[in-house]
Amino acid sequence: MTELLLGGPERLQNYLLLGALLFALGVVAVASRRNAVGYLMGIELMLNAANLDFVAYGRFRGPESAAHAQVASLFVIALAAAEAAVALALVYAVFRNLHDVDLERVSALNGD
Amino acid sequence: MNASTLLFWPVVALVAAGGIGAAVARNLVYAALALGLCLSGVGGLYLFLQAEYLAVVQMIVYVGGILILILFGVMFSRDVLGHSTRPGWGSRILACTAGALVLGVAARLAFLVPSLASNGLSSIRTPVDSWDGQISSQSSFHLGDVLLGGWLVPFLVVAVLLTVVLVAALGLVRKDAK
Repeated sequence: MTELLLGGPERLQNYLLLGALLFALGVVAVASRRNAVGYLMGIELMLNAANLDFVAYGRFRGPESAAHAQVASLFVIALAAAEAAVALALVYAVFRNLHDVDLERVSALNGD
Repeated sequence: MNASTLLFWPVVALVAAGGIGAAVARNLVYAALALGLCLSGVGGLYLFLQAEYLAVVQMIVYVGGILILILFGVMFSRDVLGHSTRPGWGSRILACTAGALVLGVAARLAFLVPSLASNGLSSIRTPVDSWDGQISSQSSFHLGDVLLGGWLVPFLVVAVLLTVVLVAALGLVRKDAK
């Protein structure tokens, strides 16, 4: 434990454990949120966890890997931005038609 | 214990606290603000990892862009304070079980890393050159070389994709769209 604490920013496991925690929190948010925007926040948490792991692994492998890992992270950030824009457009379209974004009440395509 | 170690743990605590708030806060506005804290903290961690360019991109795109979009989206919710849309106990237990499972597996994998040293992770305990508190632009130069070298085609594809996505999002919210 003290080894883990003293390593600080120079220990790969510290970043990986934090990434694991963030990813798990994202899973919790996605599984428990009933609001579309809350759900989106969970997805952003998971994407950030993956990014953190990418950059940490790259950093601890050497300068060449670090640059490639950062490029991968950049792509993830760009795709996250695109995903957020589309998701918000969908939320707006759903809100305009159904006046709510509660995922359990948005059931117009349910077939019942 | 040097200065960067002392600075590291508060940032980690900020990220963890922000993440927990974003995942479980009942008030959606508080959840979005906690997410902002968490994203800023991850940007700080990128500085510890000598990814300065990524730290700036994180602040501009995530905290300045996506977070604003999310706060905008919160306004579409009828129940921002979370009074009537509380998750039921069933889904809460399910969510916590899934989260604990994922956390367990990922944490176990994190501690398996030293045994994967044959994959080129030669120096687990100390990075190649540890951060001395100075911001160097070296990693940004290298990143630019790689991004506009071997990654040029994927880079252009992502640029086209972003344009298409933004036009499509505008199409979705057009006034006469039914």
